[in-house]
This record gives sequence, structure tokens and C-alpha cells, in this order.
Amino acid sequence: MARQWGMVIDLDRCTGCEACVVACRTENNIATVGDDQAGRGRAIHWLRVERYYEGDFPDVKVKFMPVMCQQCGAAPCEPVCPTFASYHTEEGLNGQVYNRCIGTRYCSNACSYNLRFFNFYNPTWEKPLDLQLNPDVSVRSVGIMEKCTFCVQRIKASEIQAESEKRPLRDGEVQPACVQSCPTKAMVFGDLNDPTSEAARLARSNRAMKLLEELGTVPQVTYLKRDSWNGAENV
Amino acid sequence: MAQKTSEQINEELLRPLQSTSLTYKLALVFFVAVVAAAGFAFSYQVNNGIGVSGLQRPVFWAFYITNFVFWIGLSHAGTLISAILRLCNATWRRPVTRCAEVITVFALSIGATFPVIHLGRPWLAFWLFPYPSERGIWPNVRSPLLWDFFAINTYLLGSVTFLLLPMLPDFALVRDHAVGFRKKVYNVLSLGWTGTPKQWHRLEMAMSIMAIAVIPVAVSVHSIVSWDFAMANVPGWHSTIFAPYFVCGAIFSGIAALIIAMALLRKFLHLEEYLLRVHFENLGKLLLVMSLLWFYFVVSERLTAWYGNEIFEMPTFWSTQRGDFSPLFWTMVLCNFLIPFPILAIKRFRTIAGCVIASIGVVIGMWLERFLIIVPSLSSKFLPYSYVTSPYRPTWVEITITCGTFAAMALLYMLFSKFVPIIAVWELKAGDPNMKVVREASLAPSAGQALPHGSEAGAD
Amino acid sequence: MAVADAIYGLFPGPDSAERAVNALRDAGVAADKMVILSPEPFDQYEFTHRDHKTVMPWLAMCGGIVGGTLGFLLARFMQMAYPFPLITGGMPLVSPFPTGIVTYELTMFSAVVTTVITLLVTTGLPNWKAKVYDEEVARGMVLIGVVDPSESSRADLESRLQRAGAAKIKGTGRFAKA
Repeated sequence: MARQWGMVIDLDRCTGCEACVVACRTENNIATVGDDQAGRGRAIHWLRVERYYEGDFPDVKVKFMPVMCQQCGAAPCEPVCPTFASYHTEEGLNGQVYNRCIGTRYCSNACSYNLRFFNFYNPTWEKPLDLQLNPDVSVRSVGIMEKCTFCVQRIKASEIQAESEKRPLRDGEVQPACVQSCPTKAMVFGDLNDPTSEAARLARSNRAMKLLEELGTVPQVTYLKRDSWNGAENV
Repeated sequence: MAQKTSEQINEELLRPLQSTSLTYKLALVFFVAVVAAAGFAFSYQVNNGIGVSGLQRPVFWAFYITNFVFWIGLSHAGTLISAILRLCNATWRRPVTRCAEVITVFALSIGATFPVIHLGRPWLAFWLFPYPSERGIWPNVRSPLLWDFFAINTYLLGSVTFLLLPMLPDFALVRDHAVGFRKKVYNVLSLGWTGTPKQWHRLEMAMSIMAIAVIPVAVSVHSIVSWDFAMANVPGWHSTIFAPYFVCGAIFSGIAALIIAMALLRKFLHLEEYLLRVHFENLGKLLLVMSLLWFYFVVSERLTAWYGNEIFEMPTFWSTQRGDFSPLFWTMVLCNFLIPFPILAIKRFRTIAGCVIASIGVVIGMWLERFLIIVPSLSSKFLPYSYVTSPYRPTWVEITITCGTFAAMALLYMLFSKFVPIIAVWELKAGDPNMKVVREASLAPSAGQALPHGSEAGAD
Repeated sequence: MAVADAIYGLFPGPDSAERAVNALRDAGVAADKMVILSPEPFDQYEFTHRDHKTVMPWLAMCGGIVGGTLGFLLARFMQMAYPFPLITGGMPLVSPFPTGIVTYELTMFSAVVTTVITLLVTTGLPNWKAKVYDEEVARGMVLIGVVDPSESSRADLESRLQRAGAAKIKGTGRFAKA
């Protein structure tokens, strides 16, 4: 059966430290746009930790969750791209082909989660920061949409490695940058079509929920709701 | 009812082609300057990136798409007036048809530039065209933007044909009144039209076919443009009412633009005897109907949104009714309904000036309506964390390009009226109920050979 | 310029033109040798109704059907022409709705194109070498004449045109007078 890559994020373990965000930026050559542009809403965060504050001081509760491209099974961003820059791969990922993108930005309007990002200017890295660029990932130019790819370069590298060693891919062998860097192991990545994989097992948990599932986007990222100590359900 | 001879009509309607006033030249220079500024702004944007505009995440579409929908909508003027009134045999339409068709062609051309202007990589816009590329990739037909491509091109072809075909006899007319190089040019343009009955019949048959063909195309074009929004699951966009709503709004703004254009032509080309108050009154009544229809659609859409109280829709809804966008929203209602309705409904106010005031209001209001469909919905999509960071504000690039489109429209219109008679002369003579053509008995001396006897007139 | 040999009269209005056409018909002039040029359609008058009915609407419809078929095939082709299926949004590979839209638009496109081509072909335009033309037509006169009449019938034809109310009578080609 074909693979369906998916991720499970345990919100009980997530501390909101944003190590995953930093790792993602480093791995995927994401440019910093500067504070002026960020203030105008153009910052690029393939993975972001969303924060919601509830209540007034001193009873403030913070709810946070890491949100990245949900690689939806019925992605609203895919049919609307006129040049097939956004399409569904055979392994269940929403692929973004930078070369085909002409920048109509329809996909980002259609994305219900606002998880797609646009290069408003040509990204620049001041020397010597350009030495840190990851050679496995292309650098996008102006006018192109980009988003989380589940570190498809790492997926491909592991698949090629496994094939050259003539063995199947082991569960947990592929680790996107965010999963690898999470200090509390809150994020698990794996093949949801393999019932024995850790990701598939956790996705069957009774704490499982999906973001905006009622919209029918069929997201492949499962969140495990936070349990409070006295047993009441709490996101 | 005015009475003129055929030659008098020719003279008056061909005068703009033969003489140019100083006002015209100054206006031309001004509009060219504004269009040049817009061109500069666009090249600045291509060089530096879309970042020079006010766009941001999540408001990825704003001024450019507003302009796109606005101009495509405005282009529905010609279709309504020419095609529908032609099919209904409304003879009062005759002096008005070419003015309307010209608006359609130019508004459509201007609107069709915006899908290129708003692209992140506009130099690759040709990928929307289905051609066998070396990458083996074809455009995605499932995307509403592709439907736009086909629909707008079909409508453009239809409108250009609708405009150019009845121009053949008028080109022949101008050819016969011109000398030298101009005569040669108009001869080529007229395709050698002589006026045999066969030519007239075929032309009129072609026009009837075009009238029937272009109406469904026009309806489909703006429905497809509306589906650019309705096909995306965005609060405030994903509504089935969009297709009729947009078509109604398009015809609404089209009639308003036509009234303004006619009033300007009437004033500057001294066509007071051709474009009469009755024309403005009839168009004003149509504008009134469209205003009421538009109001009905807005109320239906707002009422269902409010009553449904859907959790994701309400932030967008309230932002237009009471929040950041409410000044624009209530201005729009004022311009589109509250001002035009009394002016157009009460006969005393439905003068030419009154119709023009109402129309200017409608043009402003309809532009605002396009803006208010796009930006508030994008500013407050589903997840509150990614609502808009700072409210969308246009930059000088977007404002310049917007002004440039209005200047381009005026410029193209002015150039057209300089080279082609803006009122279809043969159509006017053939059946306008407000102009009686007196068949003159005597004949002006001509350069042709005359027989010794018989230049006394036969009585008609 | 292939100017034909013809004689014609210039008539100030459709009524006199009608009389002229009737007079010429009575004189036995064949329909294809009669020249009628008018600055307006004059649909209400009989003298403009000489041609057989046109099949232009049917041709336009056929053109539309051809275009629609091509549009359908194009849309289907564009959705299937890949070595691997390009799935988008979990939706079917060949979607009926977009295919329908492209089919519809190309139907109308080719109906328009067919109409224009039919118009140009049946009217013989562009034809800058008109056989008979007079610029007075542009000033509101109707030109009624006969192409290539015999020498003997010439005087008779000219007097008929005169009686019908010609403002001027002229000739072209070998009938042109100095």
C-alpha cells in the first residue's frame, strides 16, 4: 500500500519552546524578512506556534499549538493553482513545485489555515549567513509561494538510502527537522498507512483531534489534546 | 424630433474625425502622462517584487483583483445595450450602441491586463495558455483562473467582433469623405465595403447571430470571474449567490459607465441633437432597475450571513457592518442605492445631470463593493491567530496603477472617437425614432462624369 | 482597378430607387447584372430583398459544435496528459464541471469565428477592387445600375433610370463620358 506520511503532535508534551520553528527555518532555507516587513505581516514561518490567550489577569490561560501545512487529503489549495504548482504526491504530501509557481496566490487564499507563504521580495542572506544554507533545499526567489513540505528532502534521502541498502524504510527513520529537534519528543512522524508505525498508533488515541476538521480538508496532522491533571479534557 | 439630411448627419458625426480642439490635446497629454506613470509603477513592481504593494499574509489579493473584477464588470455595458436591446427591437438604442461596445472592448482589455499585473512572476504569464511545453505540463483546467482565461478571451473576441462588424459601413463612409493617406487607410479598414444588398443582409444576419451569442458569453464571463472567489472556502466567499450577484453588479456598473461616457461625448463632441434626454432617461430607468436588483442581492447575502451566525463568517460580517471596513461599506450603500434611487426614481430629477451624478456614485460604489468582497474576507479567515497583522493599506504602486487604468480607459476612448465615428451613422439613419432623415432632392456637384442631360432632380 | 462597364443612376432616396429597380426589371435586365449600392440597409423596401436566404445561423451552429468538441477534447487531454496522475484536492482527475466550462467557452468562440468567416466569404470582402462604386453613395444616394449592357439597350435603360427619378446618370468603363 502506498505511504501516507502524517504527523502526530502531542499538545500535552509541547512546551511552546519553538525549537521546532528554528530548526525548520534552518533546514529549509527560510529567509528572515526584517522587522519592518514582519510588522506588515509578511514574515515566513513554515511552522509556527499559535498562541491564544484566554481570560484576564491573573487567571490567564495560554493555549498554544505548533501549526504547519496539514498536507490535506482534500486540499483546497490544490485544485485552484492554474499551473499545477500545488498538487498531491503519491505519498500523500501536498507538493509545492517552485518552478511552476507564477505567483497568482490563489492557493494561499484558499488555504483555510493560512499556512502558505509568499516571497514578496527576493530573499537575501547577509554574509556570512549565506554559508548556512542547506544544499538539499532550493532557495526560492521573488514571487513564489512556499510552505512546509514535511522536509521532503529528508524523506527522499531516507528512501533512496533504504533502497540502495535493499531494505524497507524503518519506522522513525525519517525525521523532519521539527520532529528531530523537539526536546520533549512531542512530534512524531511516520506512515499513517502502516498500522504498526508509531504515528498511526498515536493517531488512534482517544485524545486525537484535527484542526478545522469540520471543513472537510482531511488534514494529515493529528493533535493529541492536552489532559489536565484532574482528568478534564483541555486543549 | 430632429430633421436632418443624410449629408448633414454625415458632416456632424464625422466632424470629430476632422478637427481637434486644444482641450482634446491637453486632455490627451494628461492621460498619457498618467498611463506612463502607471507603467512606471508596474515596472518598478516587476523589478522589486510584489512587496512594493500593500499585500500581506493573509490579504494576498486586494487592489489588483478589485480592479480586475471592476473592469471586467464594467465591460458588460456594451452587451446589455447592444445585444439585448437589439434583440428586443428597442430602436432608441441606435445612437448608443457603438459608445457602449467601445466601453466593453476597452474595459475588457484593461481588465484582462490585471491577471498579469498581479502575478508574482508576470513574465511567466504565458503558462496559462495551453501549449505543448517542453516540461510536458499543461495548465490546470480545474482552476477557476483557467476558466477566466478561456472566458475572457472568448468574450474579448466576441466583443471586438461585435464592435468591428458594424464599423465596416462607417469606415466606408469615412473613406469617401477623406483624401490622401487617410483615404487609403480607411479603404483598407473598410475591406472594400460598397453597400450591396447582399453585404447589408449578411452583416445584419451576422449581427443578429452575434447578439444572440454574446449574451450568454457575457453572463458566463462574470459568473466565472465570481467563481474565482466562490470556489475557495473562505468565509464570505463560499456563497452560491456570487454568480448572479456579480452579473447583476457588472451590468449595473456597465450602465453607469455608459451614461457617464455618453454625457461626456455629448458635451465635448456637441452631439446634443443625437444623444437626447430620452436616451439618458431610458438608461436611467435601467440603472434604477439594476440598483434595486443589486440592493436585493446585497440584502439577501447579508441577511443569510447574519441569520446563520456561523462562527467563521461572523468576524468578516461584523468587520464590514460595524468594524474596520464599515465606513467603506456604508459609503458603498450610499453610492449604489441611497443616492441613485431617489434621483432615478423621481422623474423631475431624472435629467441628464441627475443621471450622471447617480452614475458617478454607482461607479465609485461598485469599485468599493469589489474591494469589500475581497479584503475583509481575507483579513479574517478561519484561524484568529492569522488574522491580518496590520490592516491592509494600498501603496503608491497600487494607487498609481489604479489611476492609470482609469486614464487608460479615457485615453483609449478619446483616441477611438477621433478615428471612428462614435455614433454608428448607418444605424442611426436606418431607424432611429428620434432622428428623421430628410432625403435631399438636389445633388452637390461631383467630380464624376455627367451626361449632358438630366441633372435636374427627380422629386422624391 | 478592374472597373466594369456599367451605366448607373444616382437616386436621392429609397422610393425612387425602388421605381428604378422595377423599371430595370421590366426592361428585362437580369438580376445578376443589376447593381444596387445603398448607404443604409433599407430593409423595409423590396428592392433590397434579392438574395436567397442565408444559412449563416446554421453554419455558426455547426462551427460552435465543432469548437465545442475540440474544447471538450482539449480539456480532457489537459487533465490526462501526464505519465502519472496529477491529483489535486482529492477531486476526480477528469472533472465534469471544468471540462464543461472549457467546452462551452470554446463553443461560443468558434461560433463567433465561424460567423465572421462566413460573413467575409459570402460578401466577398475584403474586396478593394470594386467593380462599380461612386462616392455619392456615401453622401446618401442610392446607386442603381446595369453592368455590361448591350449598346443598343443603353438609351432605353438611361431613359428608364431618368424617368424613375435619377438625380444623375453616369457611366463607367467604356460608357464613361469625357
